[in-house]
Amino acid sequence: MSDGPLIVQSDKTLLLDIDHPLSDECRRAIAPFAELEKSPEHIHTYRLTPLGLWNARAAGHDAEQVIDTLLKYSRYAVPHALLVDVADTMSRYGRLRLEAHPVHGLTLVSNDPAVLREVTRGKKVAPMLGLQLDDETIVVHPGQRGFLKQALLKLGWPAEDFAGYVDGEHHEIALKQDGWQIRRYQELAAEGFWHGGSGVVVLPCGAGKTIVGAAAMAHAKATTLILVTNTIAARQWRDELLKKTTLHEDEIGEYSGAKKEIRPVTIATYQVMTTRKQGIYAHLDLFDAIDWGLIIYDEVHLLPAPIFRFTADIQSRRRLGLTATLVREDGMEGEVFSLIGPKRYDVPWKEIEAQGYIAPADCVEVRISLTDDERLNYATAEAEDRYRFCATTATKRKVAVALAHKHANEQVLIIGQYLDQLDALGEELGVPVIKGDTPVKERERLFNLYRSGEIKCLVVSKVANFSIDLPEATIAIQVSGTFGSRQEEAQRLGRILRPKADGHGARFYSLVARDTVDQDFAQNRQRFLAEQGYAYRIIDADEVLS
Amino acid sequence: MSTPSFAQELRDRDDAAISELFSFRPDLLTPVPTDFNALAGRANSVPSLIRALESLNRWQHDLLIAASVLTEPFSLAQLVDLTDLSAKESTLELWSRGLLYKDGTKYRLPSNIRPMLGDEPAGLGPYSPVPVDLSPLNEAPKASLDVLGRLVWGPPRGQISSVSKPGPAIGWLLEHHLLLAFDSKTVILPREVALHLRHGKVYRELSHTAPKITGTVRKQKDVDRAAIANISTFMRWTEELAHNWSDEPPVALRTGGLGVRDLKRSAEHLGVDEACAGFVAEILYLAGLVVIDTDDQILPTHAFDLWMTKNSEERWESLVSLWFETSRVSGLIGKSEGKNIAPLGPELDRVGIASTRKSILQLLVRNPEMDPDLESIQKKVQWLSPQRFTPEYVQWTLREAEWLGITGQGAISSFGAAYISGSEELGVEKALPNPVDHILIQADNSAIAPGPLTIELSNMIGTIADIESRGGATVYRFSEASIRRGLDHGQTGDQIKDFLKKTSKTAMPQPLEYLINDVAKRHGRLRVGHANCYLRCEDEGMIHQIMHDKRTEGLRLRKLAPQVIISDLEMNEVLIGLREAGYLPAIENATGLLISQPAVRRAKARPRPPRVLSEISKASEQLVQSAVRMLRAGEKASAHKPRDIPRTTANETMDLLHQYIEEQASLTIGYADTNGGVSNRLIDPISISLGTLLARDHATGEMQHFRISRITGVSPATQS
Repeated sequence: MSDGPLIVQSDKTLLLDIDHPLSDECRRAIAPFAELEKSPEHIHTYRLTPLGLWNARAAGHDAEQVIDTLLKYSRYAVPHALLVDVADTMSRYGRLRLEAHPVHGLTLVSNDPAVLREVTRGKKVAPMLGLQLDDETIVVHPGQRGFLKQALLKLGWPAEDFAGYVDGEHHEIALKQDGWQIRRYQELAAEGFWHGGSGVVVLPCGAGKTIVGAAAMAHAKATTLILVTNTIAARQWRDELLKKTTLHEDEIGEYSGAKKEIRPVTIATYQVMTTRKQGIYAHLDLFDAIDWGLIIYDEVHLLPAPIFRFTADIQSRRRLGLTATLVREDGMEGEVFSLIGPKRYDVPWKEIEAQGYIAPADCVEVRISLTDDERLNYATAEAEDRYRFCATTATKRKVAVALAHKHANEQVLIIGQYLDQLDALGEELGVPVIKGDTPVKERERLFNLYRSGEIKCLVVSKVANFSIDLPEATIAIQVSGTFGSRQEEAQRLGRILRPKADGHGARFYSLVARDTVDQDFAQNRQRFLAEQGYAYRIIDADEVLS
Repeated sequence: MSTPSFAQELRDRDDAAISELFSFRPDLLTPVPTDFNALAGRANSVPSLIRALESLNRWQHDLLIAASVLTEPFSLAQLVDLTDLSAKESTLELWSRGLLYKDGTKYRLPSNIRPMLGDEPAGLGPYSPVPVDLSPLNEAPKASLDVLGRLVWGPPRGQISSVSKPGPAIGWLLEHHLLLAFDSKTVILPREVALHLRHGKVYRELSHTAPKITGTVRKQKDVDRAAIANISTFMRWTEELAHNWSDEPPVALRTGGLGVRDLKRSAEHLGVDEACAGFVAEILYLAGLVVIDTDDQILPTHAFDLWMTKNSEERWESLVSLWFETSRVSGLIGKSEGKNIAPLGPELDRVGIASTRKSILQLLVRNPEMDPDLESIQKKVQWLSPQRFTPEYVQWTLREAEWLGITGQGAISSFGAAYISGSEELGVEKALPNPVDHILIQADNSAIAPGPLTIELSNMIGTIADIESRGGATVYRFSEASIRRGLDHGQTGDQIKDFLKKTSKTAMPQPLEYLINDVAKRHGRLRVGHANCYLRCEDEGMIHQIMHDKRTEGLRLRKLAPQVIISDLEMNEVLIGLREAGYLPAIENATGLLISQPAVRRAKARPRPPRVLSEISKASEQLVQSAVRMLRAGEKASAHKPRDIPRTTANETMDLLHQYIEEQASLTIGYADTNGGVSNRLIDPISISLGTLLARDHATGEMQHFRISRITGVSPATQS
């Protein structure tokens, strides 16, 4: 029995003992094929999934390497069945290939006629296929490239796509590295994507995904469509691209609810793309408006379902997905894999933090005891109002204010879910509040003031959850959240994880009402933080108030 | 000269030969036949012959068929002519199994064998009723030879349009009696002609060598590693399934057994396919670790809890030994021929699986460090017992052996080999990872036991944390509910914290401490108790009076609130007591009575599922020897048996017995059994006391007591 750092569990999770001398070596060895699920302080949990294994195949690893790695580092005997399963799963990738045939166009090719026969029997697959040219080649109906890949993945036979890409309309784009330097991992990520053709780059919040996008554009040197979550994010992309690439203002268009510009580089929001008029997606033409050479999907884990459908149609264009996590709360990881592409690059959060690119964060939970009156009201509230009630108590407001005062000299962000509560806080602290009905112009003005340090404190609603770059925020105070979404917690932490100019740490306060559903939700959210290696402390509200 | 009977021939065999016969055909021993006539009758009975034929290997079987081609009596030389020299040895094997018997220097078949081997053994037709002249064959037309060629290796019959108007080829053959008319449309090839055309041999190819097993070579070290992983995985499956069923007991089907949906759920829970989950369920059921209780719930038993306290090796061994013996075929689960076969159901028993299983494992033991190709081992098993061969059984047995860890990477593990050889020490315990005595607690409120925990630790942690993932290690998660469960089990918050601090190698994270404190603080603030009835009165004075009334002292009253008293006595008793004390209570309509529920549900152990005793296991040496002795004694008794033992009255019996005891003579008695049947016993009487006769029974050679009242008659044993 060897004494390795890795324990292979029967549910296909891998437990990595961080305190083991070989842990670093082992982590590097398993990272290509196992998804990091959580990384608390002692034992990190990875998981073997078919997608993860296929991602590894796509990156050129074979089953033998994977099995060798498992056996080499495993502390206990690895169940044979699990190894067989790994080999079996991995061998399924690439048995089917999509290739461009000089005469017949797109074809599905396999050296294994049995597999080909199996998949062509599939009810969903058959209509997408045309003439069988020989035992190993079948013509694919044009336009079915994406749908076929989706269907094949569902059958458990993911196809490798070698059918190539259109170059798109040429447009000169280059990085403009004056006063800043592209980081090594950003460069590797962009290269990894470019060599793979299409795929997803996984980087933690604050690791500079925009730069990876820009670098990819510099590789493609072609017209680019960028899809982002909302207008604010769109403007940030534009600003970043103007700053860091050779692109000029008139080359970049915004395609959102407010503006409908189509330029060589166009930034569109998911929302506008999925807007329907009389049951039809009105803005679908955008995908064909220009002969795009590259399509970038920001925050791929949030990509709405209809976008997948459009994406299936444009499989001949290069696609880059950017995200902090491949885990989707709706379980559509498979769609990302088949339609956007396999994972091309991945760096764990902690590693980037260790390199000093992300500020280390100190997470603090403030436990607030409700007053007797509040307790009684809480107990008698209707079930659907309970969370709102305990999340917005007056005691909580007091604590939030006290914290804001305590950090009066730092850049403070107060984040919450309930507008009344936010308004009340804004009023009490005398600071601006940004919420859904704040006009985009006004929002940007306030954010700019905040960035420049003229405003020390901002109260924001969930509109600020995604892709708003507030690098100078050092203190975040979360007063209420959308129940237990782990996604949200990560994003909020992301707001303040940007590297600080003076290099000092950030602090994330989460205010939680003791003995209420608030505490339950908080626990769920904080588990995510703990799993990411951010141990949180708990302090009592009295400590803050005293 | 008269033909010797089978019984006579058996009688003439020596004791060693009879012992051998019994060891090959143990079914002949149950019950021990009274004499050789009975033995011959039983050995020639169809059920016993079926068993005997099933135990033959391919070559022995073929040889027996070849023998049945010959007319009786036949000589060994004839049999060798029909096959080859290796028949010599195998003929002896058939003889010792009682499938052939000697007639002088020649052999005969027990009369019931022929019909069982079929009318056309080895595809040979009947002997021709008229002598056949084979010489015309030399000038036979080619078309006729073609016809013969088609019939020669069987089946020997051919259909034609009409025997009266055959074509020229068949006509020629019929004319020369090389082909016979069987009925108006069928012709048949006589045995003499076929044997001639087969050049005097019965078979084209002889099957006297067993096929070789081929496969992938493995290293024993790797095999054992894989096997130990299989063993620990299997043990975990059993525990996990039992725990899962304890939490959510499945309800058995009306026909008995586990429903499809529950099987699916169990399979998902274990993360295995349904065949494997069904197998785990079956093993648990066989071991009596789970049962279907009287409410049709499938639940673990107390035996499970006891079993859990044993060490891994004992646990594994107990399961493996059951698997070896059982006649239940888990592989059939879900296999539908129009219907579903459920695990734990009544339809899984199959004859012959246990011996197939044993012979497969013997093959694995004989081919160490080899993962046999399925096809080659199937062929081998088929050769060893062609009559019993079912290809799936081989496949299923190999699959199950792998699950159990008897094999690893398909080859026999040293643990499996040790078990099969019956050794005391299997080495499982030593090979399994050592139990760890610590856990690692992490900030996300999870704890990891980086190896198998000692049973005390795992029980303790099990009460205060939920298991999230299992395998080499166990991942636990603390939650409000799990801590509460610990408190419910009588732990205090401080005890839990102390335990965790003591057990954890890492510092206890602050959030967990908060969690435990919080839950402990709230736990027990609200109290729930049990009362059988309550007394309610708006007049607090009355309540006060009752509480201090000496006459109601026996009612076990307790005041809960100024206006409420409870009692744990039955309502009627309280009513009567109060009325006797002069109060005027009225009954109130009661709702919302608390019903307490035990923390863990366990069924009372019930008998294990009955095993079909389809296979008679090999008899022990001792048994065989005593059987031979009994047989010889029975033989003596039947030779000496007076046609009828005269019935004697009780007094006469006593007198006669006393007389023979004095004379020390053997005598025959009629003795009634509990069912009233009378058997004759040949005995040497020793003494009489308390209404019983102590005597030595010739049949068993042992001293035995006979109740005088049951002796129906006494007569002297006349010595021959």
